[in-house]
Amino acid sequence: MNRTPLPEWLANSLIDTLSSQQPAAPGEIHTTARAQVIEWGLPTLRDEEWRWTNLRALTRPLPTSDVTAPPETIGVTDSMPQVLRIRFNGGKLVELPKELPDGMTITPLQDADHAQRRAAFAPLAQSPNDALLALNTATAAEGLVIDIAANVAITPPIVLEFLDAPSETAAQTRILVRCGPHSRATLIETATSTDGVTSWRNSVLVAELAVSSQLNHLSLGLDGDARLLTDRSFVTLARDARYRSINIQLGGQLVRREIDVNITDTGAHCDLFGLMMPRAKQVLDTHTRLTHGAAHTTSDERYQIIADEAGRGIFKGRILVAQDAQKIEAYQSSRNLLLSDSAEIDTKPELEIYADDVKCSHGATIGRLDDEALYYLKSRGISSENARKLLITGFAQEIVDQLPTPELVEWVGQIIARRLERQQAE
Amino acid sequence: MKLLEIKNLHAKIGDKPILRGINLDINAGEVHAIMGPNGSGKSTLCQVLGGREGFEVTEGDVTYDGKDLLELSTEERATAGLLLGFQHPVEIPGVKNIYLLKEALNAQRAARGLDEMDTFTFMKTVRELTKTMGMDDAFLHRGVNAGFSGGEKKRNEILQMLLLQPRLALLDETDSGLDIDALKIVSEGINRLRGGDRGIVLVTHYQRLLSYVEPDFVHILYQGKIIKSGDKSLALQLEAEGYQDILDAAS
Repeated sequence: MNRTPLPEWLANSLIDTLSSQQPAAPGEIHTTARAQVIEWGLPTLRDEEWRWTNLRALTRPLPTSDVTAPPETIGVTDSMPQVLRIRFNGGKLVELPKELPDGMTITPLQDADHAQRRAAFAPLAQSPNDALLALNTATAAEGLVIDIAANVAITPPIVLEFLDAPSETAAQTRILVRCGPHSRATLIETATSTDGVTSWRNSVLVAELAVSSQLNHLSLGLDGDARLLTDRSFVTLARDARYRSINIQLGGQLVRREIDVNITDTGAHCDLFGLMMPRAKQVLDTHTRLTHGAAHTTSDERYQIIADEAGRGIFKGRILVAQDAQKIEAYQSSRNLLLSDSAEIDTKPELEIYADDVKCSHGATIGRLDDEALYYLKSRGISSENARKLLITGFAQEIVDQLPTPELVEWVGQIIARRLERQQAE
Repeated sequence: MKLLEIKNLHAKIGDKPILRGINLDINAGEVHAIMGPNGSGKSTLCQVLGGREGFEVTEGDVTYDGKDLLELSTEERATAGLLLGFQHPVEIPGVKNIYLLKEALNAQRAARGLDEMDTFTFMKTVRELTKTMGMDDAFLHRGVNAGFSGGEKKRNEILQMLLLQPRLALLDETDSGLDIDALKIVSEGINRLRGGDRGIVLVTHYQRLLSYVEPDFVHILYQGKIIKSGDKSLALQLEAEGYQDILDAAS
């Protein structure tokens, strides 16, 4: 099949980047990825996993802007002083915590040893659907390796703040998180940029959860009406490990996340929770692929989209149950609210089950705000506007409530409330 | 003082006339019971007064506290002090009871020119009311009516009334689906609302509630019209003789 090669502007900017920075991927992985980038270019609507999401915005040079104000940070650290903050600006690592708790190390990718790099770049691109993974593998020079030792509980959340400053090309970051046996940690990624500033980050995160470890992983996309994010997470769960992903996307021109979780051994559990609230002309898209590769494993997946104005939300959730993964339980639901006639929601559950003794269920609904509920609230004297807001907030809260601590529930709840108030004020 | 004045009210759903000329006056301080068999128009009357969409008023006037009620939106009616207790309270999972109570109270207070109630006073007031209504505090943090039993839903309606202190409470079959214990609690709640310049309208199918909340007036609604009015003895007569005798006598 004829493919569109990498757009010229992107090819040129990659040459510039690569002349000043050494890619971090190990030699042969890098060589393969480079060939894939040349062969595949960017994903197109003809690629199965991209048929709903158009990367047209990347076929021309990213517009430059004269906005120089740094993005308003949402102050994770204001409301939660006890966090371990790591900050990237325009894809460059600019801040690390001054002190780390015992049992935790952070290694910038440039200083990582060969074994760490091999692990960080382990997920290999298989097809043109993975063209952006190949691009990251071929070019990423910035990133981190976070190691958590066995039997350690890291209480303060590890916060990765991505200030997506304007850049002439994609910020390519690569993060590896390794949770040792019986360890526990919370990882928060936030993304934000100043309105009117076009930025593109193409990032990859790899997480390895060892035996009986627990990782809570919040990905929170905040403001930035011209922000582009293409992001992949690859998560592997060993025996009895527990992983909870909470993916909350509240802004951006185009946000495309793909979350791959591989449950490799018995007793492990995975939660995939998501909330996307596209408005204006935003496109917020998440694809999840969850593999039950072992017997007696469980998963719970709940995705909710609230689409307003001309926003577009996309969810595709694939669950694959391997032939010998008996006695697994997998539950998936996709519940969606369409708030305007110009908004659009696409949702597609995909269950592929090869074992014969499993409990799997899935369901998808798209609806509007319940008229009965609105009438009931108004009959209590609550204005139409506030009644709508209560219902929208209540719907969003079902996902927010899944955050691991009351502080995080409160913090994210406030961010969503402010976002709805701003929209109301416009 | 006249709180509510209904004159020759006609209303229909689609092409189907339901209310066919209702006349009713309610003065401050009075408790009225409206009784009638199924399909007589009791719930329609409540919904028309509450401002629900889907009903067309074809004739007549409703004046509430000197204002043309039918010109007011649902939320304006509520903040003007007319509150409707639902026959089937709506389940709203996700919206916590406590948020509904807070928003609703603040809306009432704003309409009366008062500041928002401070959090401590609010919580104290709400806790006292949950206790009065025999409800657990945990209920405050559950979704509005979500997974509530029939009795819990009705108690919740009365709890909201006690907090919001309406001038005219319109209670649509608040007694249906209640066991005897819940009926007593709900009745006590209604009796606490009673008095002063407040009007209460009890819409009910059965006389049972009226043993606990004694009405000043009883009206029989049949085929969209009030065919007979009287004092509380009318309800007892109805209980003893059934609707048919009264309907026959009235026709």
